[in-house]
Amino acid sequence: MASGVQPRSHAALPEVGRPAGLALRRLRRNRTALGFGALFVALVALALAAPLWAHIAGTTPSKNHLSDTVVVDGRTEQVVTFDGVPIAPTWQKKFFLGADTNGRDVAVRLLYGARNSLFIGIAAALITTVLAVLLGTLAGYFRGWTDAVISRSLDVLWAFPVLLLGVALGVSLALGGLKVGPLEISGDSKWIPTMIIAVVSVVYLARPIRGQVLSLREKEFVEAARAQGAGPLRIMFGELLPNLVSTILVFFALLVANAILLEAALSFLGAGVQPPEPSWGTMLAEGITLLATSPHLTIVPGLMLVLTVLSLNIFGDGVRDALDPRGKVRPEHG
Amino acid sequence: MPGSLRGLICLSLASVAISGLTACGGDDGDADADAEAVSEATNGGRTGGTITTAYTSFPDYLDPALSYTQEGWQSMWTVYTPLLTYKHAEGAEGATVVPGLAEAMPDISHDGRVYKLRLREGLTYSDGTDVKASDFEHTIKRVLNLQSGGSSFYQSIEGAEKYIDDGRAGADISGIETSDETRDITITLTEPDERLPYILAMNFAAVVPGDTPFENQTKNPPPGVGPYKFDNVRINRGYDLVKVPAFDVPDQATGKLDTINVEVVKNRRRQTQDTIQNKIDYMHDPPAPDQLREVRARYTGTRYAEFVTNSTYYYFLNHDVAPFDNAEAREAVNIAIDKRSLARLFGGLLEPGCNFLPPGMKGYEKIEPCPWGDPTAAPDVAKARQLVESSGTAGQAVTVFGNDEPEPKALAEYLSDVLNDIGYKARPRIIEASVYPATIGNHKTRAQAGFANWFQDFPHPGNFMFLVDGDSIQPTNNQNFGNVNDPEINEILDAASRNADIEEVADDYARADRLTVEGAHVAAYGHRELTVFYSDRIDFENCTSWHPVYNLDLTQLCLK
Repeated sequence: MASGVQPRSHAALPEVGRPAGLALRRLRRNRTALGFGALFVALVALALAAPLWAHIAGTTPSKNHLSDTVVVDGRTEQVVTFDGVPIAPTWQKKFFLGADTNGRDVAVRLLYGARNSLFIGIAAALITTVLAVLLGTLAGYFRGWTDAVISRSLDVLWAFPVLLLGVALGVSLALGGLKVGPLEISGDSKWIPTMIIAVVSVVYLARPIRGQVLSLREKEFVEAARAQGAGPLRIMFGELLPNLVSTILVFFALLVANAILLEAALSFLGAGVQPPEPSWGTMLAEGITLLATSPHLTIVPGLMLVLTVLSLNIFGDGVRDALDPRGKVRPEHG
Repeated sequence: MPGSLRGLICLSLASVAISGLTACGGDDGDADADAEAVSEATNGGRTGGTITTAYTSFPDYLDPALSYTQEGWQSMWTVYTPLLTYKHAEGAEGATVVPGLAEAMPDISHDGRVYKLRLREGLTYSDGTDVKASDFEHTIKRVLNLQSGGSSFYQSIEGAEKYIDDGRAGADISGIETSDETRDITITLTEPDERLPYILAMNFAAVVPGDTPFENQTKNPPPGVGPYKFDNVRINRGYDLVKVPAFDVPDQATGKLDTINVEVVKNRRRQTQDTIQNKIDYMHDPPAPDQLREVRARYTGTRYAEFVTNSTYYYFLNHDVAPFDNAEAREAVNIAIDKRSLARLFGGLLEPGCNFLPPGMKGYEKIEPCPWGDPTAAPDVAKARQLVESSGTAGQAVTVFGNDEPEPKALAEYLSDVLNDIGYKARPRIIEASVYPATIGNHKTRAQAGFANWFQDFPHPGNFMFLVDGDSIQPTNNQNFGNVNDPEINEILDAASRNADIEEVADDYARADRLTVEGAHVAAYGHRELTVFYSDRIDFENCTSWHPVYNLDLTQLCLK
């Protein structure tokens, strides 16, 4: 069972809990991974608390305060000066992390941006996982023409620079939205970047899944299931899928991290989250012009992005080490 | 043409001296005055030397038939002199159309359709070949044949549309008759166009040799008649403007510097730093926003200056689509926008105001008090909310359009926030800048409201007021984004457009401007300012001239 590939049938039931227990024990011993996992949970909690902080700060993420003033240490200061320089962090309720060029509260936007990033990251990773498992399993199990069509399609997707593909899709869909049969998504919906990221990421998981299925389909427990009269669907989803769980889990955390990074990049380039919704990527893009006078505009969202991706990556590595100590599953990054 | 002509900017003019046009021909008195203006403008500062200037991007074209950006025009004016041109002077005087390669201002027929000009004697291009009257027709053919952005200006010439439709480069334009012997040029229009002198003064009409190919010549710009010539063109990297010693056209500036190296430096922060350190002698674009404060504080009056341009910035409010088909709803927007806030979005480089016409334009009369509130004070948002309520449009969804460049994007987000504040459900819609005018100018888009701006093509109020002229509305490529169609404004503009004497119709344009603002047809909020920033080597005191059409006059620059 060291490979993490666990046949489900043949008196294995008493053993089912053991690999999971082993993995949990290994994960508990990995303090670094647990620490970063806790950091990620804290970031999620902060994101969930965004409306609460907005209430405390007395604003909303898209509220402009261009000509307003705020009292800091007894002095009245302009939120944005006449020459367009926004206020630096006040470390108080209003403009805790300063304002942006539109006079919006950076802390509030940061937390709402976190909600968007996490929503897109997790939703995209879920969609990617479903699509990739489906395609990888079909290709690996049926081989032949099915494999050829799916694998070559994935190769085509693999050949495109992900960011360019994402930008091209993002820009074109942002204007007209997406209409596929009954599915209709408006151009400024968060689902547009979510779908784009989900689709362009499929290849990263589908290929390893296919590889594993190609190997698993030759195992005795699959032969046994086939001999018992199980059809392809039952074998794929009843026999093979449970043996792919560890791979999927390892990849999932990394897919989320990758999706958050890609969302930030797309938003930075104007092809991701659309205004007035905040995103760490758009916050970075807006702040870059004032790097010298208002470094907080880039440092704050940049730091959040680094912490989130770092925590997911390190926690994801920890999960992989726990589930797959011999390192058979190695995610490939595009 | 706001997209392609984003940077085509000008400063104040108080008198656009087309007045004596109909009566003129070569008025000696005018010529003397012109000569005096040039000698005054060129006084002071030493001649010779080389400077380096920095542009953020390479001009769109280095071909006079095609260039339609401020970067391009600034250099074009030093290389190509049209038949008519502008004085090398600041302010109102610089907006005066004067003879360039033509001996005098045109003789205009009584029906306003026929313009007669005569080329000066003995003119040669920078390569030494003679300038012929027939080169002018070739020049206009190139503009039309290459589908230049400026081609629409010349379609009022008789036979121009047929020439385009035929698609044969060598075909004749029936409305242009030339004689190389007598140097006469006769232009016949399909109908009177009071703007023609300005149109002839645009660089599109600057004559080039008759054998210049019918294709983009940016890699190897054709020779012109001007104080400088293009040399060492490095596409997307830079080019040199080298003095033409033989250039000697009466009343035209000859240039002081021997060579002007134009370099493309994409990073404005680096440009600013290099200018501070005297590695660059002039930067064309404003310093990076995060450096502006320091530059203002340290160099204003010695190396740095700001100028209000002939531009207008406004929000269009679509009269054909709810909720802004309701006058009260439009008034509410005008009341609610805070012009002090909007100026901040430009880093302070915006002159807040409520006029639609810019301050430097003939016909500008400052509207005081502004009907919707003092531009320098906080807006009455409560009153705006009340108006929205009473208009019965509260709660309606509004999409605010903007493009993906920093300021338009921020401006769309700002208006969206304001609309939410006064009772609408607004969201910004940001689209790519290159398709923005075509998108909001397409009736099918039914754009409710959004960012709009305009920089002059030439210093004439009609070049602004057509943006709110009901007669200019068209289903696609519509520039009247808000479909403003006020019969009174239309009537005034129609009458004014038939009078070539701008002095006589200035009051009419002022009235149209006032009606535009008082009718809340648009939400006008100000006029863009631009900057000049020089190295310590430049003689700021004597040799820097801000021209109302071409911005910095490169022929006036000199070293200390």
